[in-house]
Amino acid sequence: MDRVVRLKLVLWVMVGLAAAIATARFAFGLGATTHLSDATPWGLWVGFDVMGGVALAAGGFVVTATVYIFKMEEYHSIVRPAVLTAFLGYVAVVVGLLFDLGLPWNIWHLTIYWNPRSPLFEVGWCVMLYLTVLMLEFFPVPTEGISALASLRRFLLTLRIPLVILGVALSTLHQSSLGSLFLIMPYRLYPLWYSPLLPVLFFISAVALGLMMVILESHVTAYLYRRKPETGLLAPLGAATRWVLAVYVAARFGDLAARGQLHYLASGAWQAKLFWLELALMAILPLALMSATRFRRQAGWQGAAAAIGVAGVVLNRIDVGGLADIGRGGPLYAPKWTEIAVSLGIVAAATLAFLFMIEHFRVWESRPADPEADPRKLPEFDKVGFTWLGTPAVAGRVKYSLGFVFAAGAGFALLGSPLAARQGSVPAPVHRARGDAGYLRSGVSEAASLGQPGELPRGVLYIDGDLTRYGVTFYHQREIERNGREKSCVLCHHMNMPHDQDSGCYACHRDMYQKSDASRHDWHASPHGANLACVECHEPGYARTSAHVKPCADCHKNLVPAGATIEIPNYNAVSYVDAMHEVCNGCHVKVAAREKKPEIARCAECHKGRLNFSDTRHYLYSPHAPAGRLVILPPPKVSEVH
Amino acid sequence: MKPAILTDTTKCTGCSECAIACQRVNRLERDIPRRWDFGDGLSAENWCSVVDAADNTFVRKQCRHCLDPACVDACPVGAMHKTAAGPVLCDTSKCIGCRYCMMACPFGIPRYEWSNVVPYVRKCVLCYDRIKAGGQPACTEACPAKATIFGDRDELLAEAHRRIRRNPGKYLDRVWGESEVGGTSVLYISGIDLSFLTYGEHFGKEPLPQTTTLAMESVPFAFLGMGAAMGGLYWIIERRNRLQAEKAAGEAKGQREPEK
Ligand code: SF4
Ligand code: SF4
Ligand code: SF4
Repeated sequence: MDRVVRLKLVLWVMVGLAAAIATARFAFGLGATTHLSDATPWGLWVGFDVMGGVALAAGGFVVTATVYIFKMEEYHSIVRPAVLTAFLGYVAVVVGLLFDLGLPWNIWHLTIYWNPRSPLFEVGWCVMLYLTVLMLEFFPVPTEGISALASLRRFLLTLRIPLVILGVALSTLHQSSLGSLFLIMPYRLYPLWYSPLLPVLFFISAVALGLMMVILESHVTAYLYRRKPETGLLAPLGAATRWVLAVYVAARFGDLAARGQLHYLASGAWQAKLFWLELALMAILPLALMSATRFRRQAGWQGAAAAIGVAGVVLNRIDVGGLADIGRGGPLYAPKWTEIAVSLGIVAAATLAFLFMIEHFRVWESRPADPEADPRKLPEFDKVGFTWLGTPAVAGRVKYSLGFVFAAGAGFALLGSPLAARQGSVPAPVHRARGDAGYLRSGVSEAASLGQPGELPRGVLYIDGDLTRYGVTFYHQREIERNGREKSCVLCHHMNMPHDQDSGCYACHRDMYQKSDASRHDWHASPHGANLACVECHEPGYARTSAHVKPCADCHKNLVPAGATIEIPNYNAVSYVDAMHEVCNGCHVKVAAREKKPEIARCAECHKGRLNFSDTRHYLYSPHAPAGRLVILPPPKVSEVH
Repeated sequence: MKPAILTDTTKCTGCSECAIACQRVNRLERDIPRRWDFGDGLSAENWCSVVDAADNTFVRKQCRHCLDPACVDACPVGAMHKTAAGPVLCDTSKCIGCRYCMMACPFGIPRYEWSNVVPYVRKCVLCYDRIKAGGQPACTEACPAKATIFGDRDELLAEAHRRIRRNPGKYLDRVWGESEVGGTSVLYISGIDLSFLTYGEHFGKEPLPQTTTLAMESVPFAFLGMGAAMGGLYWIIERRNRLQAEKAAGEAKGQREPEK
């Protein structure tokens, strides 16, 4: 396969994968398709797609300024590709933004509701305006063959210089304002990145990135379409980049020194390592490579230096956009694979659009001779499929469509169950209450405290379903005595497993926070379980739903003990937490009302003053762990308590 | 009157009546632990939580209703706004879901409805409707220990200092919320350090919106300045090129003439 075809196939696969996830993103929401959290509300989609994307598109304003304002006519040949990259880059940014916004259909609100004090407001407006400018700048290229639009093109040409100047001014604003976005979070961003100079640093690095991006893009397309790299032409751009990068490095360190934060550099924290990696990639390595004339003039090194620099600046944007403030509160954030897939998919789509444009329009001085689109080539016979695959161009399309469809299918398959991910709840299996219930086994009526030291006394249970040691001490024996001995069992034990008389709560209420299937449908149907045919429970001829099913009691005669006070409305057992609150507090509320003792129905009656039903898994992630234990609230039927 | 809440953590018994009242009054749903929880009990459905802090102290957490709120300054469409009455509210009909407010808030307060396909930003509203009607928030009303009370900010500040003065051994000599980030409507006095309610650093006194002021106010100047600089450069370079071309043409002409 030809280089271009191979690349396009890969790109189509990436787009297909992203398309599947995009569907899930809009069908199930952000919780199901990202790892964003209340502690890290911005993630890869902001850091890479939006901030990285805007930076990557900086080539447009840098090159138009070079050619039309500084009049370096020798670069005329790279104006069109640079403007095209910028245009597609900004379209990609907007698409990425639509994924990331919680309410993307409201994005037009920016035009009618204004908050000029917000840097994000300014970025939004600049991006809108600059996208328009780029569109006008690029408009003459794809419409070149349409004579009806000739006068419009001529008009746009007279506007060229004002458009270029407007573009440069707008770019200056929003490239730097992306840095201003973070000025308001001095306590969130790590000190190595937070600086009042952020907007300036962002602007300088954007200029450098714009230059490096032009170099990189020229090398990549030269490789793809087997053209001679424009190394000689690009070398002076590399030399210019060197100066910009030098200014950047000086500004960055000067700023750290001025703020007295240099000691963080040697702190050994992972952020310090990240800082060094980022700075090495974005500035130091490219600076070194481009300073050596030998490397600068040689195609391979020139491309490599640009590639490293581009990666580094994107890393910088990701760092500022979220990576550098993780660990400053709440759970850690690492992007979910879906976030990465969508980001790559957007880049892939933009690249495909770019390749399409250079193949079909005069973006370069001469269009690339595309062997795949050559009409003189004959269809190809596929020995494996035993079929003619059409002309090479068509054959390519077949491959791309197949790649897209398979990738989309794989994407849907890999997504698993977005409905579960959307709930964002961690399964919390329930265990049997610890301690000795006492009554039946001992046969004695006194709540004898005979337990071993360190153990619970007989007749006392400790209820912490998920074994977190934050639970309630339940005086089982005392409750029995108070509520009428044997008669009292059915107050709580409202359903028994077969051959059992006092099944524990954990038998059916199997998750702390979520419903569980009390009928154990899968066990009944499984060959390793009851091995029942569907029709043994479900009425034949009806949909096999819970609406048409035999009552459990048809088989399980003693399932519900006589006199049980709790009704069972369906086959789902409520969560353990709900069940406990329902059964305990249900009684407590009644007693409180009867005996006029409201405190009996208060939380603290059972949760002795410390409402710490904490979820250790959660606070383990939190830097405030010792201070910030989670309180799960509140018990059901709150209104009855009052 | 500037509505405010004073929470005295030394009086709090951890009964969580405030949080229960908040859920009832604001018709919030019961919540379960989620992947995206911060770990402090607040969520899109819990606007008030009671954090079980060190030394047997309970601290109720809620939006601080800053006097100059960072979240309001950040919101690009002005959905987050500070009402004239004092509470900071989010107008969901304007919100675009950028979550910049969540990034900007120094206390990490606003929470997102991550599980929803149409998600909104949610947080304590200082019971806007109730205080507008002359009442007090549900949480302060529900507190059986009077550990969290509602009133005018100046009076509550005076009360806070009075309590500290009367009982210097019991309290740290500081009213949290008096001056950090420009002051907040929700004040705390406590026997323990409450820095864990923030990103763990002691805040300066400047309101956070001031951090962006300089950058935002330079915007028009940067725009015009850059435009003018580019225009000027264009004019100069263009003129130089033209003159050079004319000179070259003139010289060429001058060279050719004698041949004629
Ligand atoms: S605490 Fe946070 S959310 Fe509340 S007003 Fe202040 S900045 Fe806004
Ligand atoms: S998420 Fe909504 S309220 Fe928050 S800053 Fe964005 S638009 Fe404003
Ligand atoms: S002021 Fe109102 S909304 Fe805020 S925590 Fe109290 S009850 Fe909840």
